[in-house]
Amino acid sequence: MPIVFKVNGEYRVSLMPPMTPLVDVLREEFSLTGAKTVCREGFCGSCTVIVNGRPAVSCLMPVGQVQDKEVLTVESLEVDGVLSALQQSMEEHDAVQCGMCFPGMMMSLTAFLERAPNPSRADVKAALSGNICRCTGYERIVDAVLSAALPRQA
Amino acid sequence: MAEQPVIGMNLRRRDATDKLCGRTRYTVDRTHAGMLHGFIYRAEVQSARVVRLDVSTARKMPGVRAIVTAMDAPGRHGIGVADEVLFAGDRIRFIGEPLAAIAADTLAQARAAAASIVLELELLPAVTTMEEALAPSAPLVHPDWKDHEILFEGGARGGNIAWEATVVRGDVGAAFARADVRIVESSFRVPRQNHLSFEPRAVVAIYEDGRFHIETSTQVPWTVRSATARYLGIPPSQVRVTVPAVGGAFGLKFDCAIEPFAALLARASRRPVRLVNSRQEEMQICLCRENAEIRIRSAISREGEIVGREAVVLMDAGAYGGEQIFLTTMTAHTLGGNYRLGSVRLSSRVVYTNTPPNGAFRACNGVYNTFALERHTDEICAAIGMDTLEFRRKNVLGDKDLGSTGQVFEGDVLGPMLAKMAHLRSSRTPRRPADPRLLYGRATVVGTWFIFVGPSSATINLNTDGTATLVTSGVEIGSGSMMQSLPQIVANALGLRPQDVVVRAADTDGAGYDLGIGGGRQTVSIGAASLAASYEVKKKVLDIAAEMLEASPQDLVLREGRVEILGAMGSGTTIAKVVERAHALVGPIAGNGSFTKPGVAAMPGCAAGHFIEAIDIPVFAVHDCEVAVDPDTGHVEVLSYSVVQDVGRALNPRAIAGQIQGGVVQGLGYALHEEITVAHDGRVLQTGLETFRVPLAQDVVPVDIVLHEGAPSIGPLGVKGAGEVPILNVGAAVACAVSNATGRRVQELPLTPPRVLELLTGDKPPLQFPHISDIWAENVLS
Repeated sequence: MPIVFKVNGEYRVSLMPPMTPLVDVLREEFSLTGAKTVCREGFCGSCTVIVNGRPAVSCLMPVGQVQDKEVLTVESLEVDGVLSALQQSMEEHDAVQCGMCFPGMMMSLTAFLERAPNPSRADVKAALSGNICRCTGYERIVDAVLSAALPRQA
Repeated sequence: MAEQPVIGMNLRRRDATDKLCGRTRYTVDRTHAGMLHGFIYRAEVQSARVVRLDVSTARKMPGVRAIVTAMDAPGRHGIGVADEVLFAGDRIRFIGEPLAAIAADTLAQARAAAASIVLELELLPAVTTMEEALAPSAPLVHPDWKDHEILFEGGARGGNIAWEATVVRGDVGAAFARADVRIVESSFRVPRQNHLSFEPRAVVAIYEDGRFHIETSTQVPWTVRSATARYLGIPPSQVRVTVPAVGGAFGLKFDCAIEPFAALLARASRRPVRLVNSRQEEMQICLCRENAEIRIRSAISREGEIVGREAVVLMDAGAYGGEQIFLTTMTAHTLGGNYRLGSVRLSSRVVYTNTPPNGAFRACNGVYNTFALERHTDEICAAIGMDTLEFRRKNVLGDKDLGSTGQVFEGDVLGPMLAKMAHLRSSRTPRRPADPRLLYGRATVVGTWFIFVGPSSATINLNTDGTATLVTSGVEIGSGSMMQSLPQIVANALGLRPQDVVVRAADTDGAGYDLGIGGGRQTVSIGAASLAASYEVKKKVLDIAAEMLEASPQDLVLREGRVEILGAMGSGTTIAKVVERAHALVGPIAGNGSFTKPGVAAMPGCAAGHFIEAIDIPVFAVHDCEVAVDPDTGHVEVLSYSVVQDVGRALNPRAIAGQIQGGVVQGLGYALHEEITVAHDGRVLQTGLETFRVPLAQDVVPVDIVLHEGAPSIGPLGVKGAGEVPILNVGAAVACAVSNATGRRVQELPLTPPRVLELLTGDKPPLQFPHISDIWAENVLS
């Protein structure tokens, strides 16, 4: 049976079997290749998307489970050609290297900043514990998150 | 408004926005109409003769479009020795070795077809460890080793020794026999390390007009071209390689990988074929940083000089030689580096085992050779009662000192860098832990690495809008050298803004030959070729502008997109107008540039079997680390980390700092918990991130960084590559700090809690290597 859910604000219909990992539906069926499959075991966080406001690893989530739900992927962050504050901060801090982990990391951190608008450095690092980066050594990403959170404090 | 100088500016990355928006199309994201999915059917035993491989049933399975086997790939490839086959053929040498490749409409169909392949085997004896492989009656991994084609002359080979490189300078025997020397001997062992590049090895191949188009995630497009041609037995000109953004590489992609399988399947099916390694495959058959065993002895005079040094380094190749054969060269320049040596002899041996082949990984064997050398140096200091920093200051290589192969080093570099580190140390309060139960340790270590120079080429086309297009075989692997360094170099030479330099990604049909991206060479070698191409463009622009402006070319300068007359800014013309004029006079303006190695000399006769006898551009690093060791759990916490790195000249200081932070953290993984182990049956035990633990955000500290500029370099504008070397000293720094904290000899990495507890309790006997002889002559073939 087709599975209907909202992706980045639009209703989409998946014809894949309900046990298909959500990430495969996004990437293969909807051509939303932002979310990456790095480990397919839920460790790396590169496939993280936001489902009904909460971050989730889309490699472990069967598409059947998102029926009628609202999924946001990294492709949703730029609105009308304007990057989100978090994305802008990452760019300004020269935080990006190979870039494979960033789609998932952006979604984890976007959800995190929604619930913790004034985080400490330790809070940000804890929020990143489910997102592995192999290139950057993290600190600059943390700097960028803290810097993006600043305007909210004002 | 004065423009910011392009050299030294913290230029942002032009690829960051798309990467942050999930729009970048890596190889794993590429699709084509009618594309098939490939799957590799792999061996599940370590050593066997293939009696029968029957794919006839598999061919008839649903969705299957092509199956290829050893019959389709007759050739062999390799580094130094062409010992590598694409498919196992009649003999399996490791678990995971490919036996067949399948292309089907879906990946599930390809996997299902693989399950129906009929395989009959006759099991053969195997060697899993280097000790087993070097035993007198060991079964040979390559019984036909004498028949392998030699691609580079000079290495000694025999039995399970795939390659041996030696250095002999001076009379080491006499130095050790002196009555006034103290002899210090140390042994070390390290396991394999997996790169865990987030994008696995991945390829899409298309066969069109009788040629192969290979889109792949690689660092070495030209090696993929030549190796694919060798395996398939076709001319290299039939292979075109293009490279999209690469999602991490770290050396993993410095050799041809799965591209030839996809090429064969594309030709057989006449359809585009995508082949992507699963994470499990990447863990199982990763070209890891090799496991190694090292014994090093030194004779130290009363004055604290190293009068003699002898070392044996055993490097596990796995089933095929690959990169390790080249890396025997680097023992001379790493384990044999850092310090002045009165005399030296080194044996660096690559050993075949029935395990997955190893490969290149950021700073390669330099990482563990530096660990071994620096721990050995601290053991020397303990033995002779000298302060470890004083010993280093006294013995590090300086201007006109000889390296192990007799090359003459230029400039005092390590000495001043040690002074900078001492200053950095004294300017910060030590981070001693508040909890008195924790053991505190600190260490400063030095390291020597190199820039891998060699041939590169560049073409610059000057466009009618006054912008320039830089065409090279460069690849953006994540380091930023393609997005930041190269446009900065060209923009600076042509008086353009960096954003006015369009950078073309590698396409072997469009750009000239290049050795590949790695070894810090993109900024140096491609940068030098790009600079040379810029000079040719500049000359053409100035000649035409001189005629237009009725001035002498010597009186003209390029700046801010214009040609200006010196001393009369604003009186010149735009580059766009010069290009327009050129179109009318001589045609479009373009320039070509080339670069290769300058060929620094070694002392004749010192080195045998070396691909590089002397290093053209040495790179030095000084690292300092503070740790706290929990004596109850064995957990090591890094309290602070500092780096003084020789960068020649910093083109983009912020980008370099990003490389240093990332490289140090990857090194902390190696030092503390990343460990690939091979079971007695030849199987890699780690299958994913649950069992291969890499650093997380909460494990790391911000690295204090000082960039050391001004050391001699033949790189463009005096630069040195900065992305590879940050990982070099990390294992050494952490090991020496833990050793100082615990008062124990650290002989192995990584320093996992169980290993640290063993150290603390003294339960583990010291390392013994029965397969490394006390007699030098027994450690060399030649």
